[in-house]
Amino acid sequence: MSSILNGIPYVFVAAPLFAFILNNAVPRERMRSHAVALSGGVAALQLAAAILGFALLAASGRGEVRFGLFWSVDAAGAAYLRVNLVSLFLLLCVGFVALASALTAAKTIDDHRCSFANLFMALLLGMNGMLLATDLFTLYVFLEITGTASFVLIAMYKSSKGLEGAFKYLTMSALATIMMLTGLALLFMHTGSLAFADLGAAALSGASGEMDILCYGALALLISGFAIKAGAAPFHSWLPDAHQSADTAVSILLSGIVIKIAGAYGFIVLVELFGDLYAVRLSVAALGVATIAFGALLALVQTHFKRIAAYSSVSQVGYILFGIAAGSPLGLVGALLHVFSHAAFKSTLFSGAAALHEQLGTLDIEQMGGLQKNMPVTGFASVTSFLSAAGVPPFAGFWSKLLILISLWQAGWIGLSAAALGLSILTGAYFLRLQKKVFFGPRNPRWDDVKEIGGTIRASQIVLSAVNLGAGLCFPLVLLYLQSIGLI
Amino acid sequence: MFKTICALLGDPVNPMISMCALPVAGGVLACLSRGRSRGALRMAVALLFGAANLVFALSLYLGGGASGALALGVQGLELRLAVSGIAALMLPFAGLLFLIVAVYAASWFHKREGGGAYMLLLFISLGMLNGALMADNLGVLLFFWEGLLCTLFGLLLIGRRENSKAAVKALALSGTADLILMLGILATARLAGSASMSEIAARPLSADGPGALGCACMLLGAMGKAGAMPFHSWIPEAASDAPAPFLAAFPGSLEKIAGIYLATRIVTDLYEFAPGSPMSLFVMVAGAVTLFFGVAMALIQKDMRRLLSYHAISQVGYMLLGIGTGLPVGIAGGVFHMMNNALYKTGLFVAAGAIEDQTGTTDLHKLGGLRRAMPVTAACFFVCALSIAGVPGTNGFFSKELIFDAALESGTIFYVAALAGAFMTAASFLKLGGAAFFSEARLPQGRRNIREARLGILIPAVLLAALCVLFGAYNALPLQTLIGPALGDAHIHAGWPENGTLVLLSSAVLLLALADHVYGRKKGGGALAAADHIHYAPGIKQAYALAERGLLDPYNWLMAAANGFSAACAWIEGGVTWFYDKAVPGLVTGTGQTLRRFWNGSVSRYLIIAVAGVACICLIFLLAALGEVAP
Repeated sequence: MSSILNGIPYVFVAAPLFAFILNNAVPRERMRSHAVALSGGVAALQLAAAILGFALLAASGRGEVRFGLFWSVDAAGAAYLRVNLVSLFLLLCVGFVALASALTAAKTIDDHRCSFANLFMALLLGMNGMLLATDLFTLYVFLEITGTASFVLIAMYKSSKGLEGAFKYLTMSALATIMMLTGLALLFMHTGSLAFADLGAAALSGASGEMDILCYGALALLISGFAIKAGAAPFHSWLPDAHQSADTAVSILLSGIVIKIAGAYGFIVLVELFGDLYAVRLSVAALGVATIAFGALLALVQTHFKRIAAYSSVSQVGYILFGIAAGSPLGLVGALLHVFSHAAFKSTLFSGAAALHEQLGTLDIEQMGGLQKNMPVTGFASVTSFLSAAGVPPFAGFWSKLLILISLWQAGWIGLSAAALGLSILTGAYFLRLQKKVFFGPRNPRWDDVKEIGGTIRASQIVLSAVNLGAGLCFPLVLLYLQSIGLI
Repeated sequence: MFKTICALLGDPVNPMISMCALPVAGGVLACLSRGRSRGALRMAVALLFGAANLVFALSLYLGGGASGALALGVQGLELRLAVSGIAALMLPFAGLLFLIVAVYAASWFHKREGGGAYMLLLFISLGMLNGALMADNLGVLLFFWEGLLCTLFGLLLIGRRENSKAAVKALALSGTADLILMLGILATARLAGSASMSEIAARPLSADGPGALGCACMLLGAMGKAGAMPFHSWIPEAASDAPAPFLAAFPGSLEKIAGIYLATRIVTDLYEFAPGSPMSLFVMVAGAVTLFFGVAMALIQKDMRRLLSYHAISQVGYMLLGIGTGLPVGIAGGVFHMMNNALYKTGLFVAAGAIEDQTGTTDLHKLGGLRRAMPVTAACFFVCALSIAGVPGTNGFFSKELIFDAALESGTIFYVAALAGAFMTAASFLKLGGAAFFSEARLPQGRRNIREARLGILIPAVLLAALCVLFGAYNALPLQTLIGPALGDAHIHAGWPENGTLVLLSSAVLLLALADHVYGRKKGGGALAAADHIHYAPGIKQAYALAERGLLDPYNWLMAAANGFSAACAWIEGGVTWFYDKAVPGLVTGTGQTLRRFWNGSVSRYLIIAVAGVACICLIFLLAALGEVAP
């Protein structure tokens, strides 16, 4: 068992890499029809490996599994990567969303399929690398890989919108890069190491116990950088443009998981390392409030289906930030579960967007209406997504939000807890507006002959709806399991 | 024979349950009667079941009462029925009156619609009344009391689904009274530690101090059922369009029996009701106000039904005045007056019904000269009218004299009010009798050939008039044989009143009323206008105008207050709805639109915002470094 456990982490690096090589080694004409299937296979493999690894690691009682990519005599120094339960759970989420994205891509991606697969692997590798890193610089490098793959994925279809979105993303990411590199440099200047093991609130304050003001600056810059990557307000400006203009399969990846790994995971690391500093948690919480409120208010007034979904992602990231900011194991569990439930319901919603775009050719919700009759599966999947997002029991979103609210309460932020609860009404409001304009009400006669989508998108919608509800129904079991392994 | 029946029935509780169940069965039978012979069937049911009920009631009365608990008693609530004293007397009396009004009703509905439902509800009402009279437990009493309210509401609704105003009014007023009664019963049972009337009667509660609330509330409940002010105003409204048998049965007799029975029980059994106590004053004032204003309104009515209905209110005032004195003579007078009133008022309503049946109207403007066409009806009417006016020698005279006696002892003002009431009663009946039976015949076209009423209506009228004469001629029978033992006080003076001065004063008032009638007749030009000189006298005219417009009706005050309250609630609710429907979504959407305009797609603006965001985060860290923010 132990050897399997030790072997599993390699999958997360090796699978995308080998798929990448395979994709380019086989002639494009032959590979073309299998590229998306290959992407889906890698995603499925990652999902399976993550589930297995999580179960084995939890059963083994070990905190983490360290490993290195290259053979070395000095085993301790060579093992510069690791998986633990948190990263395995997030790897699971990556695999899950990547699978949903591949299922959608099978229908929506027509040209540049091999390029899509290449970039897909690069994106996967970038996110996996972030989750495996044991030092901030490695984390940063993989973050840049993730970001670069994302820009090209958004822009590769050469629409002016796509280029504009990618450009905005690139510009803002450049700002993030500047801030993060500066922050890392300042930290490195102070401590001489960027390994997680060498960092911490204690490491920053010297012998006098007084903290260097530059360390504060470094942390502020790092937080701002991750905030840009996570799309937290007021750094969210790039996100709706980028997510709206990308292909829907790409939007699923970006909204469903990339912003959380590139942004929220950064906050998880920062709070784990520097959570003893109140200012770190406070600024994360402040970002959370702004993000929830701005995201929801802006989602309420949009007319483009994917733009609403994108702003909804902004708003939901705010909840994840809340959970992280609480700084307690319960808050972390809440945040991770919200990553999962958001991944599930946002993938559902974007699958719906893909279906609508395929069948209608437009995503302007003002032109829709009454489509429930034409597209019952899409309508139903969208309702489960809405109920989960609005936090209606027993859907998955309810439990994760509940844990986040409780953790905020326990952290002494009763006002924030109340604000989170109050703002979730806005979530219900913009989702209800979306439902009403798209699926309910009178139907535009233009859509009288519209049919339900078929194939992989329908399959993915059904599976994802089942996950929205099933994860919620299984939640008490999940909670018991987490309790038994001592995570809470 | 009655004892044999009792023995045959075994347990004493059985006849009592039968008295509740039998009428319901009769009502169902009457209601189910269909086809051409349904009128005859209903008459047969009325006779059979009315007589059976009377036999049971008499057997209980002659058997010296009974007591028994129902087997289905829940823990802590004993469903006990007990018949003794005044209840034992009231049962056969109610049975007798019911037999008469049931025959009258069956006859009235012979060729009319709605008879089945009416008979059903009438019979159920008897069951409820019997139950209320027999109940020993106050909770059981309340159950039957509410049952009576339900049947009353149903009776008022029959045939008038469109115009249910009177029914709703009755429900609201009687319902309020019943609610107050419920409060009173709760307070009484709590204070006494028991809800059993016979247990409370063994140690009556004090009507002063903590007992005052329970006593006053229970008395208000009893007054509400009897139709005293301020629970009266549904009666004239119902009188305008309810079927004639309803008026005879409910405001005429059955409701008075229930209300006065309960008032008597409260005063004699449940509470120590001392003459001259505040509670006594409260009841007497209620009685005096009811009798004075009720008859004052009756005086000016130009419609037979409305006139009689106001008398039905005013007569309750006399009974309450008598009972409220708390003196044995007053209580006996009150109960005697209630019995007399049930006889003559029902008789008057039956006579009015006979006239309505034959002429098709009750409007006094259109009636006149009926003494020739309907001699028997006229005779019955005059016997009853003399009784209600209290002409010496009639039964009404004897009961009124007892009440006058007690009222004078309690306070001159009450006696004066009662005398004024007697004056107006006599004046209004002179007017009614004169207009309907003596003046020129002024019937509408095609209604000239008026004949004597049907037998089914005449026989009840004659019976009631005969009973009036009997109770007047042999007042020792009701007073010393019936009421005296029932109240546990055998020494009530019967025969001619001892106080000659009071008799002289009463006679003088009657003569004054006659003189006033003659004067008014001359001045107004006809019997119908005989009261107009009082009606249109300066000062009084304005008061009457207010009353006629309903401005003095407590029900209307209550409804106005309720409407104001509901308008205020609607206003507040509108505000709340506006807040949720308009203000909050407007604010949220407006904020969203503003934010949307702000994030307008310009990359340079985005960068500036991002830098500002960094500055904010740095500010948080700066504040933390300076120790300004801390957990």
